[in-house]
This record gives sequence, C-alpha cells and structure tokens, in this order.
Amino acid sequence: MRPEMREYNYDWLMGSMLHAASRVSNGTPKETELTYRYIPYFKNVAQSFIGAGEIGIQILKLFDRYYENILTAHERGQKIAASTFCFSPSIFYAMDIVPICMELLTALGNIVWRRGMFDYMDYGVEAGLPETSCSSQRGALGAYFAGLCEPIDFIVCDTPGVCDTNANAFAFTATFLDKPYYALNYPQVLGDDRSQNYHVEDYKELVRFMEAQTGNKLDYDRLGEVLQEVEKQDALIADIEDMHTLKPTPLAPIHNIALYAGKFTFSGNKEYTRLLEMIADSAKKRVKIGASGLKTGDEKLRVYMIYIDHYTLDMNFWNWFDENSVAHMGGMLSHHFRDNIEYTEALEGISYGVDTSSPESMFNSIAQMNARLPMVRSIRGPYDQPNMWLEETLALAKNFRADCLIYNGTPGCRNTWANVKLMVRDLEKHGYPTHIMNDDAFDDRVESWVATRERLEEFFQVRGLL
Amino acid sequence: MDTFYDAATRVRNKPILKWKEEGRSVVGYTCSYVPAEIFHAADILPIRLRGIETDGMDIGDTYYGPFICSFPKCILQLAGKGMFDFLDGAVITPGCDAMRRLDECWRKAGEDYEGILPSYFYYFDVPHKTEPHGMQWFVKEIRNLIDSVERHFDVRITDEKLKTAIRAYNQGRKLLQTVEDLRSQAEIKVSGTDVFAATVASTVMPRGEFTADLEKWIQSIKQNKPLKNGQKRLMLVGSISDEIDLVELVEKDNHAVVVAENLCFGARYESNQIPENGNPVQALAEHYLGKSVCPRMYGKYKERLGFLKDKIECAGVDGVIMQNIRFCDLHGAENALFERDLEAMGIPCLRIEREYGPLIETGRIKLRINAFLERIS
Repeated sequence: MRPEMREYNYDWLMGSMLHAASRVSNGTPKETELTYRYIPYFKNVAQSFIGAGEIGIQILKLFDRYYENILTAHERGQKIAASTFCFSPSIFYAMDIVPICMELLTALGNIVWRRGMFDYMDYGVEAGLPETSCSSQRGALGAYFAGLCEPIDFIVCDTPGVCDTNANAFAFTATFLDKPYYALNYPQVLGDDRSQNYHVEDYKELVRFMEAQTGNKLDYDRLGEVLQEVEKQDALIADIEDMHTLKPTPLAPIHNIALYAGKFTFSGNKEYTRLLEMIADSAKKRVKIGASGLKTGDEKLRVYMIYIDHYTLDMNFWNWFDENSVAHMGGMLSHHFRDNIEYTEALEGISYGVDTSSPESMFNSIAQMNARLPMVRSIRGPYDQPNMWLEETLALAKNFRADCLIYNGTPGCRNTWANVKLMVRDLEKHGYPTHIMNDDAFDDRVESWVATRERLEEFFQVRGLL
Repeated sequence: MDTFYDAATRVRNKPILKWKEEGRSVVGYTCSYVPAEIFHAADILPIRLRGIETDGMDIGDTYYGPFICSFPKCILQLAGKGMFDFLDGAVITPGCDAMRRLDECWRKAGEDYEGILPSYFYYFDVPHKTEPHGMQWFVKEIRNLIDSVERHFDVRITDEKLKTAIRAYNQGRKLLQTVEDLRSQAEIKVSGTDVFAATVASTVMPRGEFTADLEKWIQSIKQNKPLKNGQKRLMLVGSISDEIDLVELVEKDNHAVVVAENLCFGARYESNQIPENGNPVQALAEHYLGKSVCPRMYGKYKERLGFLKDKIECAGVDGVIMQNIRFCDLHGAENALFERDLEAMGIPCLRIEREYGPLIETGRIKLRINAFLERIS
C-alpha cells in the first residue's frame, strides 16, 4: 500500500467526508453551488445525491450517522460487529451492537473516491486474500487489514452454503485479525419445514455467540421494539413496491439503492423508516399526476437487474438510467420477501412474517427474515429449483413489467458465474432479452465504466430496446 | 502397482470396465463428504469423479462462466464427451460453489448432448458446520440418500450391510495408514508418486480388490531398498488434485520426495477409523462431516493448522508446497494463512497458483519448485 494511504484513518476519512456532505445542502442554493467549487473531486457525487432532493440528502445523513456510530462505538462502550449485506443488522441493534456492512463500505468508497477502493483491494491481496476473491468484501477489508479502521470486535456472516467467497473472506479475516467468528449456514433449499427449523436452530446458536461476545443477554422487549419497527418498514416497502409496478414508475433509479442501502445499514431503526416514508410520499405525489420518477420524465424502458448494481464513481450507473429514460426496476438487492407483497404469492415458502407475540415467535421471525435476504434467499440451491433464482427472477420481472434483464456481479461471484449462462439462456427462452455485464461491480480496473456503458448501449441497440 | 497406476491415471480404467462387464452399477460422486460405504453396501461401485485426460474445454466453458475453477469444468468436459458413459448415477455435493453448480451445468448440458446425464442424478446437501443441528441435518441427508439409492436401484441397504461396508473401508484405511507410517520413516522406501497413485486408486477401485492389492504392495514396499539420500522431504497441500503428474513433477529430478499430503484425494483421514458398532448412519455422519479438514468448514482454521503441523512433525517435512487452482478462494486464502503461520514456525513454504489439468504449466511450476528446493537446501 502506498505510504500516503496509511497516513489517514479510513473510517475517519469517510466519516468526516460524509458528515460534511450531509450538510452541504443546509445552506441556500447559491451557497450550495459555491460549495461545489471548493470540492471539485466530489462535486459530481455530491450533486448526484443532493440533486435527488430530500431523499438523496436523507441517504447522505444515513451514511453520516452510520460512520458516526462506528467511530464512536467504543467510546460509548459498544461492541462492533463486522458483517455482510445479506445479514440483517436488526439483531445487532436489538443487542446494542454497532454493525459494519463490508460490501456497503466498499461500494461507498467506490462511488466517492476517484481511485475507488483499489489500494485497499490490493492490500487485501497482500494480506492473503486471492486476487480472484470478491472485490465487494476485499475493498473495505483491505483497510481493516492495514489497521486503518476502528477495530472490530467480532465477525458474523451467513453465507456458508450460499457464497464461498463471501464466507471465506470473513473466515480469513477472523484468523488474520484474530477475532471471534460465527457464520450462519443455509441449506440448499428454502421454504420446507426442515430448512425453516434449521434456520431457527442456527440463529439461536448465533445469539448465544453474540451474548458471549457482549456479555449481555438478549433483551426480548428490545428485540420486540426493533421488530415492530421492521414491521412498519415492511408495510412502507410494500406500498413502495406496489407503486413501483405502475407505468411509468414513480420511483427514481436512486430510490432503489436507497431501499437496500437503508435496509443493510438501519433495518429496525427509525432512520430507515424516515427514509422509506420520504420515498413513499414522493412516489405518491407522482402517482397522483401520473409522473415518472425519471429526471427526463419519460419512461422508455424498464430494466430489472437480476443480481446487483454497478458501484462506480459518482453514481454514474444510476445517472445513466436517469439520463436515458430507463426505469430501474430494482434488482435482487432491492426487492423484499415479506408475506404481504404480491410477487411472493407465486412463490410458496419464500416469504417471511413478523410475529412479536413471544420470544419464540420473535426468534422464528428474525431467523426467517434473515434467511430471505438477498442472495442467501435464492442463490442457495440450483438456480432452476423451486423458489430459487430463476423462479424469483421471472416472478419479479413479471410483477414489475420489465422489458429486459441485466446481470451484473463481480468475477468473485463464483456462485452466479458458475450458472449465469444457463440462467440467461432460460430467461431468453421466457422472452426476456438479457445482458451479461462483464465488469466488476466494485472494481473499475476490470472494465472501465465507459466500456461498460458502451456495452450496455450496444445491447439496447442490437436488441432494439432503445 | 500397475493396477493402481492404471486406476489413477485413466478415467475408464480396468477395474471399472470389469465391474461393468459383470453387469453391476457404478455411481460417481464429486466430493469427499459422500459416504462411499452406502454404495458399497448396495453392491454398487462408488467412484470419485475426476477431470483427468481432458484435451479441451469447449464443453466446460460453454456452460460454466469464465471465473470458475478448472476442476469441475474438466469433469463436465469429460461428461460431455461421453467419457462417463459407464455411470449409472452421479451424486453432486456443495463442496464449493463451483462444484455444486456442476449439478445445473451437467443437467443443462444433458439437454444438449444426448445420453450424457446418468439416469440417477442426485444432489447431496452437506452443511458447513458440525454443531448438533448441522450434524442432525447431515444424518438426515445420509438417510435420504440411502432411501433414494434403494428406490432407484431396487436394492436394500440394511444397517448390517452398512456395518460390513464400514468394516471393509476401515480395513483399507488402516492399510493406507500403514503406508503413511512407512513413508514417514527416516529411511524412505517409497516415492510420493507411488503413494499418491495408490490413494487416488482407492477412490475408484472396488474396495475388496483395492485392499487386497494394497496389502501385497505394502509387503513389497517393506522389501524395497531406501531411496537416494539427501532428498528434501516435502509436503503437498491445497486445492483438489488427483494428478499423479503433479507429484511426479516435484520428485522428477530426485532432489525431493513427497512424504505427506493434505489433499482432497490424498491420504488424510486414514487414522480415523469409523466405529463398526452402534448406529452406522450416525457413525458415517460423524466421520465424513465431523472429521473433515476441508476449508469449506469455515471457522476451523486452527484445527486444520494443527492437523498440518502434526503431519509435518510426523513425516519430518523440510518444506511445504501449497498449491491452489485459480479461482479456488478457499485454498488460496487458507494457503496464505498457512504460509504466514508455518514460516513463523521456521517451516519453509512455497505458494503456487495453477490450473488443473494435464500439466499445462509444467515449465513454470518446475522452475518455482526448483527455486524452492534451492532455498531450503
């Protein structure tokens, strides 16, 4: 790692920047414009969020708060748990633990820094992670390996059985940093009684582990409060998802990342509820007048991302959708599998409910909710089996009336790169033009955004979509 | 020894073809978590699926994506070329992401290439933990597999038959442990290549035949003269390998001898005998899952390091060669940790990333091995 990179604590660097960014819009529009002149490197990304109005600003505030929590956790006597995007942080909040979602941190760094997370990713390799490992963890973890972050206290993930590279990155980190580690393990099926019971038994073991790490027993009253907040959030998401099916959709592309970034960081917290309320309110206003959420106001095409988005500098990926009148119909990360959502009706056993009536029901609720987060839900078993990737994608594509589908991932996604060609072949047979992006969602050195954009445009042109 | 080499270096080897000529069934499996005893108990020949003898990757690359380990791709390639047409069944396990996707890739290739998919095609779910609920899951998976085999092949797998199969496999394990003890001695009488050929052969030969041949071979090893003095004693660890050529390459110039391995196909569970009394399904589960030293069992690095250290001490190892197949993150990352910890203990290590297959990188790998040998000389 370049010596100058070691001069700055990474958490402090990101935290300070996000803190400043979240306040840029506090001034008058003229003052905001003037501020942009003083932050030329960050102008585009700041404009992407601030230009999205109160929702964009609320996202910045959310990230600011996230880093503030990390930076002050130990002062406040809280433990820090490193975790992953497909693990609900709600249990951490119920147990007064500060969570860190590694993939989100890597994505944020990529969106904000001109050199992305390249130096930290490379340091991850120096530390021992293979260069072929997933860049989504390797970026943020590199900063941790270099000792540039607030030390984590323990590690929790839930990807064994679903994603080797994810589970392996966390297992490696536990050994490299000598931290306690617990991983939930998911069977290859979802929805039958046997796997449901396994989820609960494994989750109970996890809570015992976290109790041992914190020295505190799980407070069921507090867990109930968090789950009731989740209940409110789920109801709001159901409303938003419902409006998202309309043509034109009232949601802007940036709202999709807000939906899942909020869930990955603040599920069960009022901050996320507030963000969802803002998204729902703004969407309702547009629905009333039949307006599109796109900046151009004209919805030409509806794209559903069958896996993840592209976290390149300045939010260029989402901006491209906005500027080209393409509606982002969400992806595996943004959609939601609560039992009150229409598309889950076609997929028996894929949804979860929330029941706070007893400790046992709460355990069951949170364990099943966790098992239905992105990737661990539908990439666990063979893609063409019941409730898995193909069925889920077809149900979502139909529900959101997608015109075409796009796969994006990282070369480290062994679990999808091993079968994505088969998946795409089947989707095409079902009548969906489908494009495979060959970039790395977190590392522009694999393929530059410009090249990625050209390939996207070529796909839309060749298939007569735009 | 010729039988072992034939079995270890040919997909369609003599013992398998002879078994088929007798009208008996053969089932292939992809991972060390599958209890071969189940098939033995049903008079079915269980064989580990392998990727040797590939001469291209056109089929493997068609169904798998580009960022995938070449081992399962080679298996798919062979399947697509009809090299596994003797199989009556196949069992796929989630050993790793690339291997578990062989299920989908093979099935889909079977839609395009007629007759390449065995009539019995089974997905065997193996958990990643040994806590009580993990073990319980695995026990149920074994029972489901037994039921499925009974139904498809119209056989009956009783507890008694399973116990007999466990005894037969234990006997082979005991003999392989004897070989391990022999190769660990100060005076080495057997090459690592020969030992590896025998252990690989154990995964594809009928157990009774293998055990009988092994017993004879052990007697002949004892009569052997010691190998040349001054050879470095090496250990080979890392990603899955059934390539005799790789061990041969290490030993080629007589500067080194491989005295131990920790490879999926190598000898590593031999000291573990499966209890022959009691509940055989539980015993199989506790052996195959509970005793696993594979990095897919996350969070057990210290146990695996301890296992490695024991082998290093026992076999008087001078240096460790750690290889991982490209895109095998599990072994790639763990090799880095092993290197860090073993080097700190004064044990020289060499880390190599490579492709699986018919030694397409012989020159590069040999160069690095030679440099390593110079370093430890």
